Formats: sequence, structure tokens, C-alpha cells
Amino acid sequence: MNRREAVKTTGTLLGGVLITTNGFLIACARDQNKSLGKVLSVDDQSLIEDIADTLLPTTPNSPGAKAAGAGAAINLLLTDCYEPEDQKRVVNGLTQFRETCDKRCGSGFASLPQKEREKFLRDIDAEAQKAGAKHYFSLVRELSLQAYFSSEIGMTKALRYVMTPGKWVGCVPLQSGQPAWA
Amino acid sequence: MAVADNSFDAIVIGSGISGGWAAKELCEKGLKTLVLERGRNVVHIKDYPTMNLAPWELPHRGALSRQVLKENPLISKAAGYGEDTMHFFIKDRDHPYIQEKPFDWIRGYQVGGKSIIWGRACQRWSKHEFVAPEKLGYGMNWPIGYDDVAPWYSHVEKFIGVCGNADHLEAMPDGEFLPPFDFNCAEKQLRDRLLAHYRNRYVVQGRWAHLSQPKEIHLQQGRGTCQARNLCMRGCPFGGYFSSNASTLPWAAKTGNLTIRPHSVVHSIIYDEAKGKAKGVRVIDAQTHAVTEYQSRIVFVNASALNTTLILLNSTSSRFPHGLGNDSGLLGKYICHHNYRTGASGKLDGFEDKYFYGKNPTECILVNFRNLGKQDADADFVGGYTTFTGGYRERGEPTTVERVGGVYKESLTKPGPWGIYMYMQGETIPRETNTVSLHPTQKDQWDIPLLVTSVGYDDNSERMIRDWQKQAKEMLTVAGCRDIEVHDNHWAPGLDIHEMGGARMGNDPKTSLLNKWNQLHACKNVFVTDGACMTSTGNQSPSILYMTLTARAVDYAAQEMARQNL
Repeated sequence: MNRREAVKTTGTLLGGVLITTNGFLIACARDQNKSLGKVLSVDDQSLIEDIADTLLPTTPNSPGAKAAGAGAAINLLLTDCYEPEDQKRVVNGLTQFRETCDKRCGSGFASLPQKEREKFLRDIDAEAQKAGAKHYFSLVRELSLQAYFSSEIGMTKALRYVMTPGKWVGCVPLQSGQPAWA
Repeated sequence: MAVADNSFDAIVIGSGISGGWAAKELCEKGLKTLVLERGRNVVHIKDYPTMNLAPWELPHRGALSRQVLKENPLISKAAGYGEDTMHFFIKDRDHPYIQEKPFDWIRGYQVGGKSIIWGRACQRWSKHEFVAPEKLGYGMNWPIGYDDVAPWYSHVEKFIGVCGNADHLEAMPDGEFLPPFDFNCAEKQLRDRLLAHYRNRYVVQGRWAHLSQPKEIHLQQGRGTCQARNLCMRGCPFGGYFSSNASTLPWAAKTGNLTIRPHSVVHSIIYDEAKGKAKGVRVIDAQTHAVTEYQSRIVFVNASALNTTLILLNSTSSRFPHGLGNDSGLLGKYICHHNYRTGASGKLDGFEDKYFYGKNPTECILVNFRNLGKQDADADFVGGYTTFTGGYRERGEPTTVERVGGVYKESLTKPGPWGIYMYMQGETIPRETNTVSLHPTQKDQWDIPLLVTSVGYDDNSERMIRDWQKQAKEMLTVAGCRDIEVHDNHWAPGLDIHEMGGARMGNDPKTSLLNKWNQLHACKNVFVTDGACMTSTGNQSPSILYMTLTARAVDYAAQEMARQNL
């Protein structure tokens, strides 16, 4: 997300209200889709970030997807770079995800402890693998990986990114525990 | 503007890789030189807006937006086109042309042209490539041979800086090399096993226009050591690779003899019927559409192969009703390109405890071993192919059972398996039926006729692809690879960005447009030294030959001017 969009989004979220051309104040809490100007509503962005953070959580080695701001990045990439049918698949998929989670776990995904979140995702993933690439969860996974491993945290804390290596060395020993180059 | 203000000793049309060289050489010889560039100005470093951005600082982390792809279905296919580089490529809607057969015409309209975004491979032609087409019956001889260009190759290599190893190979002669970039572990194994198995198949280090270790001449250009970022196509803040912007143009400017005029679309070259030679160039301002004429004693046409051909075709006069110098009727014919349609890859076990540091901006070259100086008995095609290859290490361990959570995340952050890729750069046969021409009625926004492309593959290319795939599969097996895949990308011609021909060189004015000095046979003060001049394609990357022919032609032109012959 570029700086200008970030400012725009923050303003809208903090205000929670819009001023129409007629000068009337109207609450927009019920129309969160428009409030971000993106495909995912505030709630959906929050949910997909929780999913991404369960797939790619904070570990002793590096912060996870939430710390990397994966939700906003996913929303931006989905909105600008993906086809409308993919966008629909994700939005509908998240609705389905919410319903299934309520049914099976008796509560929202966000309030589940990490272990239960992981178990629920494993079940959904098993279903997705059976259903093939068209399942929404395959796309959610793809977006999560793309957003995380292109973030500053993903590239510099989980992987190693050196913008200006200074030289090329073709063959060096791999150090124990050395992460991959971004 | 007074006429005198518009007069120069020399005009160069185009500021790309060959135009920049024409400018440098002409200015160094003391000739007042005007370089006309149809695009905007791009000043080295100052106009490289993305050169220091990390991926997460790009608007979409480097991904292309749906809108960009929708508006640019053609140019977005080009190698190197990305969110970080797209400002150095045209926009589709601005520059239409007509494809009678599918042809992807990749263009970069700015000062420096495509030299900012080129591939940077710089192999010399072998002596065989100049003579093979006629000797083996699939084309015409060049009016020059390897010995004519060898000293000029050296001249160019020393100035631009080419890394590489002196490998003493018949198929790819040595040049003036800076130290090569290392092989990685996989590449060493590939090299050793292919040589042991075949005896005559050589994998060598990339010969690339990179300053692995700059010399005084490069420091004088303000260029420094390549930092192994491999972000070249954004423009390099270190001047680590060669481009007109980093090298030839500022060098030419330092002489005080250079004038660059951006936003200058060349309409045509003006022919002086009385004097029997070109007298200047008609220019349309890209922004205001104002028409201006510039005069000069000589004109170098370096607008890129197809645009050079277009300008010549559009330069009509009583003497040349079908285009400047087009007595043979062959202007716009024998368009050829390189066959880039096929590649292969395989996984390589081992070397788990080995890695690399930095990003190698070069690739290894698997030197041509097919139809080298003779027709191979077991080859059902003519021409040769160069293969580019490299070893890579994937990111992420192979998918484990764990697909959620911390263990999964950690596995994705580890180095993965090694692999080797290869792809072909194949010679194509110049054919009279592969043409470009001017559309009789449709014009662009500058009232210049649209180019019509009618260029296709032939059966020889199809047979070459099949042979390469067979060889690549075998070689990857020999190298120790498993899970080998070969593919045909079905690219249209042009996407190779190695379009050539249109105004080919030759000894006979009846069968060629240009003589051995790249002069139009029929209009001696006009020189063509970009891809349009190519008599055949060879199998080497062509840019360095354009630079070489340019330097050679300028030297000749200056001598002829001194002798008052031009």
C-alpha cells in the first residue's frame, strides 16, 4: 500500500463517518466494503489476516503475517491485481469460512486459540486439496504467501534480502539454520 | 529558427544501443552531431525512479495490476517488463501497428532506447556465422567476415566492459574480457559432465556487459563495479552494466559536439535530387506536432530494425519512389529474428550444504555445437543455436505434510532443491516473404503510416525446436537432473526482441540495400548500423555486433568526409 492510500484508509477508519455532498452525516458502519475502497471489507480484511497469521505465525525466528501487515497487502493485491471472479471467490469463501467456523467451533475464528485455529485450517485445507485449485482456500493461501514474503518483515526477518550484495560468489557453504535469500 | 541553427555535420536517428555508439564515435572525431530521439529524455541515475526501491516499496510489491495488463496486453509480455521497469517500455495504445501474422513488436521509446532494458549478453560471432548461410545453402553471404569486425569488437568491448572467460572456442571467439562471474555448484557440475560426456559441448561463463572489475576507461565514464543486484532493467545507480545513458551519450556530450533532441519523431530522410544524396531529416515534434527540418552531411539511421526500415520506406522522392535506397525492391524484406520458443529444466539432487551470495546478473552459455561450419549429418535443419543456462536454488523446502503454522512457515524460509534451466536462442532463415511494409492508408498520431508486419516461423524453426528439445533432455540427464521438463512457449516472432533485417548488407546492390560499410548502395551519405542491416541472424546475441558495425562505419564515414567524398 502506498502512503497516500494508507492515509486515506486511516482517515476513513478513524472517522467512521462520511460527509455526503448534501452535508448530511451518515454512519457507514453497515457498508464497510466501501469504507476501504477495496474488495475486502474491514471485517474480511481482518479475517484474512488472521487466517494468514495462522498459516504463517510468529515463530522464535521471525514475526508472522499479522505483524507484517498481510491483511492490507492482501486486500490491495486482490483488488488491483486479481480478476473479478477471483475476488468473488475470496469474498464468498470468507463468508463460507465464517459460517463453517461458527458451526464447527462455536465461535468466530478470531477468538479461537492458535491450536484450534490451526486445526480448523487443516480441515479446510484438506477439503480444498480434495476440491482442487478452484477452492477459495487455495487462493487465500496464495495471497497469504505472496503478501507475507513480499513484505519487509517477510523478506528481511523470515528470509534474507540484500539489496546491494556488492559481489557475486557462486559457491559458498550453507550456514546452519541459514534462511533462503529473498 | 535560422537554417544555420539546424545544420550539423552528422545526424543520428535514435539513441539506443547503436545510436549511442554512433553519437560517441562521431563526436569524438570532432563532428557536430545531432541525435534525434522520439521519446522523452532519460538522464543516467536522475531518471531511474525505481532503482533503489525494495520490493515492498513498490505499489504492488512488483506485481502488475489488472489495469496495466488490460491496457498493455502486448508490451507486458516482454522479458523484464514489471512494475519496477514498465516506464521504460511503450504503452500499447500510443504506438499501434498492424500484424498480418502474429508479431510482438517490443519497443522502448526514450533516450537510451532499449539499451536500458537489454539482456546484456555480448558474444562475438564466429567466422562461420558470416559464411554459413551461403556455404550451406540457406542464405546470402555477408560482404564482411570475422576479420573485418574483430578489431572493432575489441574497440567496443574495451569501452563498454564485457565480463567473461577466454575459453578459446571456435564457435564463440574470445574478446577483451573483464573477470567472469563465478559458476555456482550446479553450473560447475553441468559444465564438467557435459564436457566429459560429449567432449565438444562447452558451458562457459556469461559474456555480459557488466563491470566485474572496472578499468580506468570505465571509471572515466563515471561507472563503477557491478554490485550483483540483478536489478539492471530499472537503470543502475552504479553504472554496473552498459547502456547509452550510462556510457556513450554522456561521453559524447563531454566533447561539446553533441546535441540531443528528445520528443523528435523522424518522419523521413530528405533526399536532394540535384546533389544525389540525403540532405537532412524531417522531424515531427512528438508533443506539439510541429515539423522541423535538420540538415547534415551524413545521416546514421539507428532507430531499431523495424523503425529504421519504416523511416527508409517513408523517405520517398522522385529518385526513390519506393523508399530511400530501394532500387532492389528488397527494403522491408528478409525480416528475421531469433527463435526463443523452447526451454527445459530439471531438478538436481545434492549440494544441499552449498549456497551462493548475491544475485548473478549473467547466465552461462552453452556454446553452439550444431551445424558449426558444416551441415551435421544427423541434423534435419539448417543453422545453429546458442543455449543459455543456469543453476538455481529454489526457496522453500519441498512441501512437507505440514501446511499450516510455525513448522510450515519455517520450511518455506529455508533454501530448497537445486535445479538447472536451459533455453534456446536459435538462428532463423532470412526469407524474402517475411516482410514489413507501410500501410497504404492507416497512420499514427504523427501522420506517419502504420507499419504492417508479416513475419512467421518456418518448418526449419520447428525442426530446430524439436532437435534442441531432444538434446536438452539428454544433456540435463547427463548433468544429473531428474523430473526434466521441456516446453514450447509458442511465442510469436518479435518477443525475442532480436528482430533483424529489412535493409540487409551485401556486395550486390541488386540483392541488398547496404554495402560493406553499412552505406546505402544508392545513397552513400546514409548509413544503417542497427538490426536492420543484418544479412543473417547467426546464433549469438546481436547487440554487440550492431555497436561494432556502428563504430566501424563511423570510422569509414569520417575518412570519406575528410576525403570530401561525403
